[in-house]
Amino acid sequence: MKIVVILGRVLDPAGIVVNRRRGRIFVNREEYVMQPADACALEAALQIKDGSDAEVIALPRGLLPDDDDVLRQALSVGADRAVNFVGRIGNPPYGDGVMARVLAAAIERLGETDLILTGATTLDTGQGQLGPRLAGVLGWPQVVDAWAVRVAGDHVETVCHIPPPLRGGLGGGNPYTILEVDLSAVVTVHPGALKLRYPDGARLINVYRDEKAVEAWVVTDLVSEEALQPLLEKRGRDFPPERERSVRLEGAPQEVVQVLASELRKRVG
Amino acid sequence: MDFAFSTEHRALRRLIREFAENEVEPLAAEIDREGRVPFETLGKLGQIGLLGVCFPQEYGGMGAGEIGYCILMEELGRVCTSTATTVGAHIGIGAMSIYLDGNEEQKRKYLTPLARGEKIGAFVLTEANAGSDAAAIRTRAVREGDSYILDGTKTFNTNGSFADIVTVLAVTDPTLGARGGITAFIVESDMPGFQVGTHENKMGIRGSSTAELIFEEVRVPQENVLGNVGEGFVSFMKTLDLGRLTLGAACLGGAQAALDWSVRWARTRRQFGEELAHKQSVQWMIADMATQVEALRSLVYRVAWMVDTGQPFTQMAAMCKLYGSEVASRAIDVALQIHGGLGLSRDFLIERFFRDARIAEIFEGTNEIQRIVIANNIFRRHGVRIRP
Amino acid sequence: MDFTLSEEQEMFLAMFRDFSAKEVAPNAEELDHAEQPPLGVLRKAAQQGFLGATLPEQYFGAELDYVSYCLLVETLAQDSLSVAVTLVTHVSLVAMSILARGTDAQREEWLPPMAAGEMMGAFALTEPDAGSDVAALQTRSTLPHPLPAREGGLPSPPDGGLEGGAAALNGVKTWVTNGEIAGLFLVFAQGPEGVDAFLVPADAPGLSVGYREPTLGLRSVTFNTVYLEGCRISEANRLGEPGTGLTIAQRAQDRTAVALAAAGLGVAEASIDAAAQFAAERVQFGVPIAQKQAIQGYVAEAVTELEALRYLVYRAAWLVDQGQGAPFDFSVVKAHGARVAYGVTNRMLQVLGGYGYMEDYPLARRYRDARVLSIIGGPTELQQVRIAQKVFAEWDVEIVP
Repeated sequence: MKIVVILGRVLDPAGIVVNRRRGRIFVNREEYVMQPADACALEAALQIKDGSDAEVIALPRGLLPDDDDVLRQALSVGADRAVNFVGRIGNPPYGDGVMARVLAAAIERLGETDLILTGATTLDTGQGQLGPRLAGVLGWPQVVDAWAVRVAGDHVETVCHIPPPLRGGLGGGNPYTILEVDLSAVVTVHPGALKLRYPDGARLINVYRDEKAVEAWVVTDLVSEEALQPLLEKRGRDFPPERERSVRLEGAPQEVVQVLASELRKRVG
Repeated sequence: MDFAFSTEHRALRRLIREFAENEVEPLAAEIDREGRVPFETLGKLGQIGLLGVCFPQEYGGMGAGEIGYCILMEELGRVCTSTATTVGAHIGIGAMSIYLDGNEEQKRKYLTPLARGEKIGAFVLTEANAGSDAAAIRTRAVREGDSYILDGTKTFNTNGSFADIVTVLAVTDPTLGARGGITAFIVESDMPGFQVGTHENKMGIRGSSTAELIFEEVRVPQENVLGNVGEGFVSFMKTLDLGRLTLGAACLGGAQAALDWSVRWARTRRQFGEELAHKQSVQWMIADMATQVEALRSLVYRVAWMVDTGQPFTQMAAMCKLYGSEVASRAIDVALQIHGGLGLSRDFLIERFFRDARIAEIFEGTNEIQRIVIANNIFRRHGVRIRP
Repeated sequence: MDFTLSEEQEMFLAMFRDFSAKEVAPNAEELDHAEQPPLGVLRKAAQQGFLGATLPEQYFGAELDYVSYCLLVETLAQDSLSVAVTLVTHVSLVAMSILARGTDAQREEWLPPMAAGEMMGAFALTEPDAGSDVAALQTRSTLPHPLPAREGGLPSPPDGGLEGGAAALNGVKTWVTNGEIAGLFLVFAQGPEGVDAFLVPADAPGLSVGYREPTLGLRSVTFNTVYLEGCRISEANRLGEPGTGLTIAQRAQDRTAVALAAAGLGVAEASIDAAAQFAAERVQFGVPIAQKQAIQGYVAEAVTELEALRYLVYRAAWLVDQGQGAPFDFSVVKAHGARVAYGVTNRMLQVLGGYGYMEDYPLARRYRDARVLSIIGGPTELQQVRIAQKVFAEWDVEIVP
């Protein structure tokens, strides 16, 4: 069985301080960590792999030719292969729409992939587009925001959380439901659903010492230059008109009520 | 000169820091309060392979070298001195003595399980009348057929009360002294006659075990002689030198913690209408602390590099221990003062670090002995030999 | 200048040593490990008159001069710094404040039971946001300041015009020394015009003693959080003139500074004795370690600091007896006393080596206890500000902390 996990990096929130008084963000420590939801997806993949002969392959969420640290982390905890995309054309960052095309091409090149796992949302942008877009390009079924993932034969079972407004319909009021989907499928994993295991220390040392531990595929071997053009063009910013400040009424209750009543009559006309 | 850590050491530090914050720190206050060793932490460290961090992978270790070991001690020392002490005694003097002096057979049989964390190690030397004067030990090892019979009492031993494999120094020839009369033995704790005596009631590092060990006619096969007969003491000096370096690394971690907590308190605590950070006396304290920590950091990792590149390091390792313990003591004392009443309270971690730090100037060779070692190394190069 | 003790002071010293050896030394270690206050010792001390050490005979005090009192504190501290601090809080901080500032009625009411040991005193000044910055305290008193008497007119209303409403204290005090064992609290609160001081009995409704702080050292002393929730007070509770609370607190802490330094002297002294004995007996490398020059150096330096502190303390005590002594003098003696106490116990612990780290040996407890002295009673940094204030005042520069 072949499982692909898509992993990205994000600035470590522990190194960021928000100063509300000054309305500023200070980056104390510019260090990157694996996207928390992607780490959960990786753990899900490794748990499926535990005790079976499944193969786990790590691919990157974005184009960072000079930084394969997240992929090395994946190898350290037990992934079998990791591939980074190198070469650059046009203007990064590429956005999830473009990355979906690149990843789809990479997955076709890998061949015979059964399951793709990635995080449901990213910590910095809060977006959950990559999984669904990738599923769309590949034409595969998708499950988003799964809490648990289990492979049974030729399909995958996922435990999903049902938001309160929908609980009446599905499952009769239960907060969780089990969704089954035939392989090959894309599943995105809820952040915090699982805790990524610690790496094996010797494996970690060896992975980081081996320059060639992560394979490198050239992006333009996978997709054409047109395919790398961004899907969105930013034209400008527009804000709603500033609201008038509210008026605070002070005084004894009897007086305030009089003023309030007359103001309301004025505004309603 | 390249002062950057390699990528694998940076990745290693990140792993250990995460482990320290998630697994070690949450237990630190509890193990001090209850006076217990965190066996669950040792288990987890073992699973990852950290209990063999510096040993080659062929013996079940991680292969991260002395630099890797210093990183481990620094990051553990930053959150819990007790845990760092227990781990240091296991890796740095227990397993290390077998790594440096053992034959292939002994390394396969004993070092590998120690490196994998499947067994815990200790090194047993000190006795009631032999502290700084370690060569004055009296525990006897008498040859009997193809074994040795060990008899004697050891005091102030770390890890000995629960270790599986202990390296013991005993006297094989009372007529010779340190040179020729003392031999090292590998003893398994389930060998008949090996007993644990009193557990000491210490001021600090209460989450580590310090106990008396009694050898009552323990029969040890001759295959368990570590190194050559009569050369145990001299060989042990090498192990001890390495232990001094890594104790310096643990002190670095503690001093860094003192600095970090002091900065945090100084920038939040307000008195006299402003944060303490605006008081010049506090600024001076922080600046001096930070300078000493940086100096210690450079010293420790430079000596670790010297070890990893095969250079002589005895004098420098003694400096790491001497300077490290004094910097850590000074840093935590100042941190306590900055925290005022909160620093005295057992509900907060500063006073625990204060009690824990004090032992560093005493064990693994008192700072007085370190100074003798350093002075001896300096004068010997000019032909003057110093007696302790 | 006569540096000798009088015959009477020599006699007192012998008596104090006898008492401490019999009553304090045997249980000090055990009480520390159990974190129990030394109630038995206090009872015995009361019988000797020690709990009213400096109080006049008319209040059943022993009428000791401050020098003799410091000799007592120094002696007790050799065996237990906890006992010394408990006593000093009771006598110097609370009882002597009542003696100095109380009305005759207040002195009659509170001092005899305090001298008899029936009522221990506790000092409630510190708050979570008012540590060094004492003036920032937030406990509030609603007791109005009495109106001035009117010449030839109607007498002022006895309750200051409260019209039947009661005045109360509201707030939280932390690090109240002797909190759990006290019968009487000296509480400082913001009044209508400045800080006021109040004497509040422990059983007053609205006063409750809460959490006991577990500490690094002085583990036989109780440091508690005290809650004042609508604690009723009247003029009878006020100590001293209205608005003079901070002055009362400062004077109390100044005279206590001398006694705490005497306690520091005691703990340092006992540490040197213990270390010297150990060094004389411990043989390593074929000789007692006393023969090693480094050890000699540690002991010699400790003894030098001890002697310098001794004369600093007793001169300050003499200044108290003369009714002299500027804030500067008290700050110098407190800062130095704390520094020497910690420095000496630290060095002497090193002389004992591994044994110094074991709680079963005499140095560990003394080391932990001594460390507290540079924080309680006004931290060293604050003392340094006051010393600098005095120095620079002579050059017309005003220093604000």
